[in-house]
Amino acid sequence: MFQYFIKRLAGIIPILMIVSIFIFLFVHMIPGDPARLVAGQDATQQDVESVRKQLELDKPLHQQYLSFVTNMIHGDFGHSLKTKRPVIEEIQSRFMPTFWLSVWSMVWAVLFGLLIGVVSASKRNKWQDYAGMFGAVAGISLPSFWMGLMLIQLFSVKLGWFPTGGLDSWKSYVLPSLTLGAGVAAVIARFTRSSLMDILKEDYIRTGRAKGLHERKVVWDHGLKNALIPVVTMTGLQFGFLLGGSIVIETVFGWPGLGRLLVDSVSFRDYPVIQSLMLLFALEFIIINLIVDLLYGVMNPQIRYE
Amino acid sequence: MFKKSFLSFLAVVFMVSILLAGCSSNQPSGGEEGQSNVKTKEIKKEGKDITIAVAENFISMDPHDTNDTLSYSAQKTMLEGLLGFDKEMKVIPVLAESYKASTNAKVFTFKLKHGIKFHDGTPLNAEAVKVNIDRLADPNNNLKRHSLFEMVEKTEAIDEYTVKVTLKKPFGAMINNFAHPAAMMISPKALKKYDKEVARHPVGTGPYVFKEWKPGDYLKVEKNATYWQKDLPKLDSITFKPVPENGSRVAMLQTGEADFIYPVPTEQAKAINGKKGIVVENDPSIVVRYMSMNTMKKPFSEKKVRQAMNYAVNKEAFMKVVMQGYADKMDSVIAPETQFYSAQKTYDFNIEKAKKLLKEAGYENGFTAKIWGSNTSSAQKAMEFLQQQLSQVNIKLKIEPMEAGTMSEKIWSVDDPKKANIELYYGGWSPSTGDADWGVRPLLGGKDAFPPKSYNTAYFDNGKSNELLNQALQTADPKVREEAYAKLQTLLWEEAPWVFLSVDHTMLGKREYLKGVTLLPDGSLTVTDGEIVQ
Repeated sequence: MFQYFIKRLAGIIPILMIVSIFIFLFVHMIPGDPARLVAGQDATQQDVESVRKQLELDKPLHQQYLSFVTNMIHGDFGHSLKTKRPVIEEIQSRFMPTFWLSVWSMVWAVLFGLLIGVVSASKRNKWQDYAGMFGAVAGISLPSFWMGLMLIQLFSVKLGWFPTGGLDSWKSYVLPSLTLGAGVAAVIARFTRSSLMDILKEDYIRTGRAKGLHERKVVWDHGLKNALIPVVTMTGLQFGFLLGGSIVIETVFGWPGLGRLLVDSVSFRDYPVIQSLMLLFALEFIIINLIVDLLYGVMNPQIRYE
Repeated sequence: MFKKSFLSFLAVVFMVSILLAGCSSNQPSGGEEGQSNVKTKEIKKEGKDITIAVAENFISMDPHDTNDTLSYSAQKTMLEGLLGFDKEMKVIPVLAESYKASTNAKVFTFKLKHGIKFHDGTPLNAEAVKVNIDRLADPNNNLKRHSLFEMVEKTEAIDEYTVKVTLKKPFGAMINNFAHPAAMMISPKALKKYDKEVARHPVGTGPYVFKEWKPGDYLKVEKNATYWQKDLPKLDSITFKPVPENGSRVAMLQTGEADFIYPVPTEQAKAINGKKGIVVENDPSIVVRYMSMNTMKKPFSEKKVRQAMNYAVNKEAFMKVVMQGYADKMDSVIAPETQFYSAQKTYDFNIEKAKKLLKEAGYENGFTAKIWGSNTSSAQKAMEFLQQQLSQVNIKLKIEPMEAGTMSEKIWSVDDPKKANIELYYGGWSPSTGDADWGVRPLLGGKDAFPPKSYNTAYFDNGKSNELLNQALQTADPKVREEAYAKLQTLLWEEAPWVFLSVDHTMLGKREYLKGVTLLPDGSLTVTDGEIVQ
């Protein structure tokens, strides 16, 4: 397993290289001229050209790519075209808020999602199932934008329990993580339900019941453990998406996270920031995938790594 | 066991849903009480620290390298210029005691106020001013506001408190450039110490001192205890928070988390005004809304067509439908608060007249044209409105909304004006120097303003109008300038390169106890006189 881990770790580098080429090309293919945006509204054409030169946007694409990669290897991700701050600083200050928000959303999404999923599966076609799935469909369908504003109206404006936005204390996490987690919880609930229902039809479950095991032990220990594999895969992916920062949530709650940074930089054609963010997101997905793969073995020792 | 835990889970879910339902449905009975509680609690403000919620992120704290009004709003709490604007956009001396312009508009002399110090203790003197103007005038510094000072030939410190600025050629609007926030003074010591990083370490002479800036989160300034204006400032600190979502910004004002917000979304203004100690104020700005017509292209090369389109659009309805009533009718190419404005006779909504003019121009059966504009919901609404209005005279508009970067590429990647694709363009303009020159020249100033050089999306090039524009810059004598601009405005109104629509209002929302904080017509914030009165 250790060998497998090292092999996978080494595999990250070529993947990132390939990803970086695609990112670079796509970013430069978006229509729009960063030099003009940097130079600003009142700039003359002469200003725009001098900015272009200063930002080295006048050089051929392959040269720009090469210097992007060489700088990156040296740990230099460049400066934001918009704020002129180092990209690494821009991302650093916004990574942790997004990270913790993702973690908290995930914590309660997994808790509620699993609970609703297991209950629905074991009470299939009973009212508990219908209620659980109704909640899940609602969780998926309610636009998070609307839900966020409703929560603000209720818990901030009317009741005054939580702040409307920003990031001041633990209280600031409650509303955004609830809003963000709702959709994920719903997806987890549905996955758990269908996966567990399949498992519960298996022979070994019947055997377990036949030899008089308590129903709870059958469902939670024997059933759920095996049903979890697709759920873990999906949860990992969802976590990856959350780590990219949610534009909607961050906009509604004025959250200083990565999602808004990405949108701002795309609309400003802030190449260095977009490129670094995309690379970061790719890296996050690779790492999460690796963790998920390793988790399979923990859940099902029959799975071997080669 | 399982059953039991499941039942308790259900009980919890049930209780939570009851709670949620109760909160929303009990509003009429329970809400009243809640509201009055909130009222007594919120009307009292504790302390003198205020929070201002704004719509966007701040970009830079270096005024010489800034081109967004929002960043200027924050900068103006910390930095000041030789001159500035008052609430009517009139130029007033700030750090300067007095100023003088030579009649040929080439030499400008400033006498500085005595005894003013920057936040880091550096004295404000002629040398400090020279450092700042030199920085702006040097093209090698690649500053965004270099264009406002590129005509400066040299700056001299005549004595400790006298500065003389000489231009390469006459520029009658120069005083307004000095009053522009771009010309605010940074401590020369800080410029040396931080170099380019000064954008994150602003050191000025203003009423508030920079404390901390977490991009995307907040920016905080604190009281300057040794401010040169007596008894000011009256607040202890100001925290700016970017909150892009309209609804959330309004909620912050409602809960008291913010004491002042702007802009207030027009659709919510009426709903919150006067409730729970909230006041919404709207005032005319200098932002004009227009639809430009490519005058090099048929049929817009015909003056009668352009006038007909002006008659065919009901501006009162535009203001009501698109601007929710928070706008004024445009009656010149620049807004009333802009310097040297003169009112013209408006093109009042008249379908018959429009049809008659179109017939005379040979377009009795109308034509089809495409209109470009931003993809924001308000711009789309405006374009749909124009589409509906013009359909009454058989002009069919095809709406092409675009994301900002794409649009700038489409408008500015044109080398040969004759090949420009642009036909109609819905846009807005805020002449940040407050002077008529900046309200007209970049937009309608002939060949020199054609894209990609500037913003002449109408490709309007009229010999007479170019001459008047130049004439007005040859002198600093306001009377002569006023005369030239009056003639110019009449000419542009008659030529109608735009469909003239409306003048925006600035919209702010605040708590009743906050006085003296307001928006200037250019949309920037002024807080020097801010105080809490309760």
